[in-house]
Amino acid sequence: MENIVVYIKPKRNAEVEKEEVFLKDIASVTCSNETIKTKARALKVYQFCPNGEKRTVISALRLIELVQGLGKGIAVENVGEQDTLMKLVKAPETNGPMVWIKVAFVSLVSFFGTAFTIMAFHNDIGIRDLFGRFYEQVMGQTSGGFTALEISYSLGLAVGITLFFNHIGGRRITRDPTPIEVEMRIYEKDVDDTLIETADREEKTIDAS
Amino acid sequence: MLLRRICLAALGCSFGLMTSAGVFTVLLAVGLIPRFAGRTHTGAKAPLYEDMVILGTLTGNILSVFAPYCRIAEAARRAGTPEGLWHMLGGLLLVCYGLFSGIFTGSLAMAIAEMLDSIPIFARRIGFRRGLGAAVCAMALGKAAGSFFYFYKSMFLYGG
Repeated sequence: MENIVVYIKPKRNAEVEKEEVFLKDIASVTCSNETIKTKARALKVYQFCPNGEKRTVISALRLIELVQGLGKGIAVENVGEQDTLMKLVKAPETNGPMVWIKVAFVSLVSFFGTAFTIMAFHNDIGIRDLFGRFYEQVMGQTSGGFTALEISYSLGLAVGITLFFNHIGGRRITRDPTPIEVEMRIYEKDVDDTLIETADREEKTIDAS
Repeated sequence: MLLRRICLAALGCSFGLMTSAGVFTVLLAVGLIPRFAGRTHTGAKAPLYEDMVILGTLTGNILSVFAPYCRIAEAARRAGTPEGLWHMLGGLLLVCYGLFSGIFTGSLAMAIAEMLDSIPIFARRIGFRRGLGAAVCAMALGKAAGSFFYFYKSMFLYGG
């Protein structure tokens, strides 16, 4: 049998819904030989215990070993990640009441939290006093507390945040992701890295035998 | 006079722009809201959370900058809300504001401490291996006790 190369590209983070995990769930596979490709995709790589850990880390070496086990003369090339974090998740709930409660909770915290933050900041710098004095300096008369200065400040603040967050309601100003979406991905990546490294340090990674 | 007023408006606008840049860079750098969204698995709702951040800031801004013109209780009285009912509604609003802003501030304080890596560094120095949960509990209790004591003893009267 001539040398056949199987290319695998394991994901960094694979969420699976069934306890039996196949290679196709956690990696993309390609090969010039269709039969071997189909066989490789259907390789069982892991079985979650029903009551055990819901997540585990598998090394790319273990995947290579499994694919090589399909027959002699099979070479495996890994073009993806070194380690894959496998998570057993229930079919994601998208519209249940629990989701709405969580969304409402985070929304309320964001709303009142930032309202408090900006109020505390204004209180800290004594904004009314500051604006009153500044108004007097510029206009030469006492400020009534409701002047062009306060109004334009509020407008400026609104424009600033909207530009910063890159959208008004559902409409984006540019097509870039918003800062919170970017932060979200960074945070997820950090969590995955930590889990993979922890598993590695505790030697719980499923490695080639 | 008009010219001065225009100058004032331009200045005010730039103050506002810079304030939002400053305040929001800090908020974002500590990554608080992504953390909330991650913990509740509602990352898809990130734009909604951003809207809430924007609305919250604007509300807070109006309430504090135009404080003498935002007398909510008087407005409610003028609108004919019965005194007893307003006591309940206002109380509810206050509890909402206090509780949620407290959660936010508490998380913010811990997130900033974490961003500076003070806890991991300290834990490493003293060879801390177990009991991180207890330490976190103690920190939360300490914060709560400190806050309670601050208000109970009116410590805000002593500060500059």
